[in-house]
Amino acid sequence: MKKALVSVAAVAVAIAFSGSAAIAAKCPIKIGGLAPLSAPGAVGGGEAMRDAMLFAERDINAAGGVLGCKVKVVIADTEGLPEKASAIMEKLITQDGVVAIGGGYHSSVGVAAKDVSNARGIPTVFAETWNDTITGDKQQYIFRIAPLSSWASATLWKAALRVPNVKKVAIVTENTDYGIPAAEETSKGLAKNGVKSVIFGVDIGTQDFSGIIQRVKAEKPDYIIVLNTGEAGYNFAQQAADAGIGPQGIPFQAGQVALESKAWWQNVPDGNYAFVQRIGTPVSTWNAKAKKLNEDYKAKTGKGAIESYALEAYDSISILAQAINEAKSTDGAKIVIALENISHDGTLGRIYFPYGSKKDPSVDGKGDEWWHQWPDPAMTMIQYQKEGELSTESVIIWPDKYKTGPAIYVKK
Amino acid sequence: MEFPVFFWAALGWMMFWGVLGSIATRYVYLHKDLDTSSTRLLGSMMGAATGPIGLVPLWIKTPEITTRLIIFATLGTLGVFMTAFALADPGNLCVTNGSFVASQISNGVIIGIIYGFMALGLTLIFSILGVVSFAHGEFYMIGGMVTYFMTTVLFPEVTPIVGIAAACILTFMLGALFERLFLTPMYDGRVDRPVEYGILITFGLAFTLQYFVQATVGANPVKAKRFFDFPRLRLPSAEDPWLIKTSRGNMELFETISISNPRFTAAVMCILVFIALMYFLRHTWTGKALRAVSQDRQAAAIAGINPDRMNMLAFALGSMIAALAGAMLVQAFSWLPQVGAIPALRSFVIVVLGGLGSIPGAFLGGIIVGLVEAAGTGCIPDPQKAASYIPAYGMIVLTLTLLLRPTGLLGRKFASGTHGKF
Repeated sequence: MKKALVSVAAVAVAIAFSGSAAIAAKCPIKIGGLAPLSAPGAVGGGEAMRDAMLFAERDINAAGGVLGCKVKVVIADTEGLPEKASAIMEKLITQDGVVAIGGGYHSSVGVAAKDVSNARGIPTVFAETWNDTITGDKQQYIFRIAPLSSWASATLWKAALRVPNVKKVAIVTENTDYGIPAAEETSKGLAKNGVKSVIFGVDIGTQDFSGIIQRVKAEKPDYIIVLNTGEAGYNFAQQAADAGIGPQGIPFQAGQVALESKAWWQNVPDGNYAFVQRIGTPVSTWNAKAKKLNEDYKAKTGKGAIESYALEAYDSISILAQAINEAKSTDGAKIVIALENISHDGTLGRIYFPYGSKKDPSVDGKGDEWWHQWPDPAMTMIQYQKEGELSTESVIIWPDKYKTGPAIYVKK
Repeated sequence: MEFPVFFWAALGWMMFWGVLGSIATRYVYLHKDLDTSSTRLLGSMMGAATGPIGLVPLWIKTPEITTRLIIFATLGTLGVFMTAFALADPGNLCVTNGSFVASQISNGVIIGIIYGFMALGLTLIFSILGVVSFAHGEFYMIGGMVTYFMTTVLFPEVTPIVGIAAACILTFMLGALFERLFLTPMYDGRVDRPVEYGILITFGLAFTLQYFVQATVGANPVKAKRFFDFPRLRLPSAEDPWLIKTSRGNMELFETISISNPRFTAAVMCILVFIALMYFLRHTWTGKALRAVSQDRQAAAIAGINPDRMNMLAFALGSMIAALAGAMLVQAFSWLPQVGAIPALRSFVIVVLGGLGSIPGAFLGGIIVGLVEAAGTGCIPDPQKAASYIPAYGMIVLTLTLLLRPTGLLGRKFASGTHGKF
């Protein structure tokens, strides 16, 4: 009888305190960090994001942690696969007990993961997933600091229009939630400006592109845009170069993996003059936080500079930590309110979310994809103009606001 | 496609007569008490190619089914299919552009040779041990990794042959060791279900090797330097090099066919090793012993051959062949621990298509898969879908072949293994 009374009292105490997470936050506070660390995901990008998220953990803890607790970032390998993403989200939430999630590289992963975190009430800030529908579904718990696919596509077609005498563009894309919408948006933008385009879809893990390269060649394009992530981006670029339609044979925009300079030069030795889309402000305009992170990152990884998606990954964790502190709780709904009101000084600049439950995007005539979307990610087009150079030191050829030099357009 | 209705109608016609020919021809031959082993294949091909015009005489005369007759009917089917496609889509690159077609065929043959070569190892292992090695892709990966480290990281000045040789030696030893340690229970009755045991243990090896490499060298893609540059050639003249034109990384034949240096090197090496392997199997005592064991283990043992030793040799040799394919392709593709998954899957398709246990069948199957993939990638009208379906093309051919000829193209009806008949 005495034992039963003690048990009832213990349960009553537990119930009484359960609504006050700020007082009784379970230490350490865990935040999930999504990154592709195995193929067919973009492993180079994933490793960069993982390192940056662990730096975020270090810096948050050095600054006193969150709600009086240390923060632990639980890294989860998505492999770039949507089915793996759903499983890994369930694991992070139910087994690891994370209270929020950051990171994320592949759009297909974001599309699959967002439904799990929203259903479970776990706030998620996606770092590098571009597909418009990720925020376009207006889910309560989903935020994004990466650009929208439609914005990124606009960069692509606007850069393509600057190629002298461009009449036809070949777009080689992976058939994923990132590639297909980006290719179609780019194609529409080109068509509006009187430029034809042909889209070539390929599987995400394709190694041998010889057949499709012959087909691209037969179209006689004036410019090639590649929207492949992972090693497929390297394979296509070098195989195209061997066939005479690589970066030194024709104006050529490589996939995002080209930002991994060391891997790019090793896998695509004939990759000079490639154009690459880069997210984030130019190095010359980086704030002190970004510069410090860059130095730490270089010292740890031995790389020449930090990649843009690593900066995004760092900020995705930092912003969540700030939101938890401001919410004074690990409760998902309260963190969401804090995120909607946040002003975070990140490595990418000031991050905020103007549209959400307080103000619907339609009020300002914006589409649903602006929901919980940071409106200011900078996008530039760079060009490798010296063999072996770093992507952060390459010439920015567009937009004019950030331009550091003229583009070199190779002659066909 | 300009006239899709025409194409689908023609395809429907071919399928109708193909299915009817397959069923009815077998029934007719059975009714006349004749050999029915290839009736499905011949009947379907004859029906698809000629409809009732060829089928009725076939049913009346019921000639002996020869390889020549099957080839004739198959070529006829291909001819009718291509004609229907050309008439339905006259603007297609595969119809209008001869250079494009030649390039796609050469691409298909070259990649097919490489596919076939990799599948050789798998079929060799299967024919002797009666087990499908699910670690085949990982040996392919290790071959490439070893070559990369030898030629690019550790000894950048060394000739690529040293790197390739190191990959071959290492994987041969690894294969032999694994066979001795883990596959011997299959032969001596220590496990109740040897086939399932073989599958599971090689699966285990695959995961172990893959994650061991990932843990030790990382998962970032790497690539070896080109093994050698083509000499600069312009024949017959520098001004009009219509016969051959080369740059460091590419060769152009007849101003039409473009072949990249790494693929050319890999294909030539594969052919040379294939010839050497055939010589080894047909003209050396050890090779003959391997073949003898693949045909009948007991009889081979009575003749003085040690089947267990042949098992070890076959697994080591098969693993080494996969590694050699990887060693040749690490200069062509970006390489990472998971790189073997797709080639391994393709090898499974090829060995079943060519006939389990048949070495020439594996080579033939490889070339067929390479050509079908090239045709699909090049000719399917919608470019957004053409290359997306690459893995499916081989599967379609495999499914059709298994339906019409369950033993594969050059397969034996019964293949022996360490654990009995199949």
